Amino acid sequence: MALKDVKPTRSELINTKKKIKLSQNGYKILKMKRDGLIMEFFKVLEEAKDSRGALLERYSRAQEMMAIANTIEGSIGVKAAAFSVRENPDITLKSKNIMGVVVPEIASTQVKKGIAERGYGVIGTTPIIDDTASAFEELVEAIIKSAEIETTMKRLLDEIESTKRRVNALEFKVIPELSEARDFIKMRLDEMEREELFRLKKIKARSTA
Amino acid sequence: MVQNSGGPAPYIYVSTRLRVRKAKLLPPEEYQRMLNMSLPEIIRLIGETEYQKEVDELGTSFEGIDLIEVALSWNLAKEYQRVIELAPGSLKEFTMAYLRRWDIYNVLTILRGKMQGMKEGKIKEVLIPAGSLDRTILDRVLAEENCERVADALKNWKMYPTISAELSEGCAIGSFARLENELYKRLYADLLQIARRGVKGGNQFLKFVQLEIDVKNIKTLFRMRGDGYEEDAREFFISGATFTPEELQQMNQMANRNEVIDALLARIKAKALQVALEDLRTEKSEQEVDTELTKTQLDHMEQLSKINPFSIHPILVYLEKKKYEVVNLRAIARGKESRLPGETIGKYLVI
Repeated sequence: MALKDVKPTRSELINTKKKIKLSQNGYKILKMKRDGLIMEFFKVLEEAKDSRGALLERYSRAQEMMAIANTIEGSIGVKAAAFSVRENPDITLKSKNIMGVVVPEIASTQVKKGIAERGYGVIGTTPIIDDTASAFEELVEAIIKSAEIETTMKRLLDEIESTKRRVNALEFKVIPELSEARDFIKMRLDEMEREELFRLKKIKARSTA
Repeated sequence: MVQNSGGPAPYIYVSTRLRVRKAKLLPPEEYQRMLNMSLPEIIRLIGETEYQKEVDELGTSFEGIDLIEVALSWNLAKEYQRVIELAPGSLKEFTMAYLRRWDIYNVLTILRGKMQGMKEGKIKEVLIPAGSLDRTILDRVLAEENCERVADALKNWKMYPTISAELSEGCAIGSFARLENELYKRLYADLLQIARRGVKGGNQFLKFVQLEIDVKNIKTLFRMRGDGYEEDAREFFISGATFTPEELQQMNQMANRNEVIDALLARIKAKALQVALEDLRTEKSEQEVDTELTKTQLDHMEQLSKINPFSIHPILVYLEKKKYEVVNLRAIARGKESRLPGETIGKYLVI
């Protein structure tokens, strides 16, 4: 806001003062929100580190088990066993609120299954199929958990970023400009008051002379 | 019906032919040599052996390690079909009954593929027509639209009654696990019946099938324990051998492995299996247990074949040795492709 656009009137001064107060309150609240979000983010970050570690570990294990299963059963045997799996895990998306940020809460049906629930027969298969299926079920569980944490982390980061921009805008742009406008109006009003006083004194001096 | 007809001539003929074929199988030291080779060397070596014809035939459709795997499976299927062809009379029937496990595998794969709505080509890629249902029959079955039609197309198959009894439940719950278990139980029940009907070497074969059932049950028992399955597991055990499903269920609920091994050893008479069970006292994985027991079973089979040179045992030995040659070659090639260390691959070889 350029100073030339500012009307140096008392009502404008009152409005500007109100705006400054509002901006300062908003600034304080947003700063607190930003700090709160950062604290939340660090909490989620710890979880994300663990979940990402677990995900990588389970991915390596699943890959290793697949390699061994291909070695023992051949890819034909593994594919034939995979034909048994018909169900896909059902994913339910809910949302929760962390300091005004809507983050997903991902719930899934039981991914990890027992030997009797996987769809293949026990008599005609080998334990390596169980181990491989189990490793991949654990991997899917880790992916679902990770998806929730990583999305939460991403949304928190976006919100922190936008809150930070608002805080900075208030701190370095809006409040200084409003303060400048307030000071300008004050200065102009004082100037006008002094001019008025001087003019009155002149008139009084003339009239007494 | 399998009967001992035609005197010893068919046994001498088949046993001799298969002994010659067995002599052509790769010796154990060849696997050790292959473990030290690189993948391209292994692929080249396999392509230069008796698998060359299949490798050449399939060369346009597959490449690399997939070519080797499919070629090995095709060779196995062709070889088994040849054994069925060369076995006369009752021995043919016996061989077909023994190879019916491949039919079970193929039929279940087709049913599962159809249930999943997979394309014919995808299902066909994983079929191994090594049993009595040859490629022509399987192609016809594969062309059917859905599971019910597949079952109808198998009306003349020996195992149709089991399929017919279990299919509707399988389709309803979307799982053929129960059907699979029932088919294998039926397979072993049929083999026990054949062994009792007077084929030459039938008494030993009966013992062998019972040993196989024991081995299968013990493998299942260790898998159940490994999975922590504590519910009623009787439906997963095969009856007709040393243990009843109820006894195995009791063992499944025992607290520790040693207790189970003690309970098994108290009843098991086969010395080879006793030795293998003693070895299992260490904390081995379920897969290692499985491989150990398979090796024991093969050793026992080999011994029976030497004791009864002109009986059904040389047929069994050849069928199994051929299968494990394919399994071992595939394991070495796939293991090398996955960059598994030679020691790890060696652990899973059945030599």
